[in-house]
Amino acid sequence: MSVSLLLVPVALAAAAAIQARASGGEAKGTICTVSTRMRDSALLATALRETGAVVTAATDVVDAAWQGVEGRFTRGADGVWTAHFRGDVDETRAVEIVQRLDAAYGRQVQAAVLDRLRDRAPAAGLRLESETVTDDAAVRLVFAVERQERA
Amino acid sequence: MSAQITVVVAADGTVHAETHGLPGPACLDYIAVLEDLLDATTVSSAYTADFHHARSTVEAAEVVRDVDRR
Repeated sequence: MSVSLLLVPVALAAAAAIQARASGGEAKGTICTVSTRMRDSALLATALRETGAVVTAATDVVDAAWQGVEGRFTRGADGVWTAHFRGDVDETRAVEIVQRLDAAYGRQVQAAVLDRLRDRAPAAGLRLESETVTDDAAVRLVFAVERQERA
Repeated sequence: MSAQITVVVAADGTVHAETHGLPGPACLDYIAVLEDLLDATTVSSAYTADFHHARSTVEAAEVVRDVDRR
């Protein structure tokens, strides 16, 4: 018998869409606020650096600077980070930045999940039989069940 | 068939997992095991054709036994 599952790591918000809204009138230019699906601050900081940003991270605020654009990330009550951009940026550019960041963040989550899986699977009675990378950069792992768990 | 679990970790961080060859509801036990292993939450689940095929086989066997009792 088989069951098929779709799982979302806790580092990702389950339901999220990248949406921007702009508010003008600031002395330094338009501020664009973009929602994200990111929850993990360490992975966020690493992903930001991957996009070429200079990053300053505190507990609930992460600042990032690209050429001509500054971003401040704040954590909401639901634990999800929201991006606020100012400088040479409009809604389209802000969404592009967050989409690039989201791709980098996804790769960080993928690496973290794979590390955790490889590390912890043996203790759960799972023996890694094969590991392959697919054309779309997903990683496929096949485990043999060596002893059956009762959860 | 030996029991296996296939896990596909996508580049966007989402995970798809499928059990194979686990008898009966034992496959359901692995939902919690995988959630713990992956530090993840299941957002959707479905039985595969294997599950329905195996259940149909069991049901068919039960019908045969009922007929035998008569």
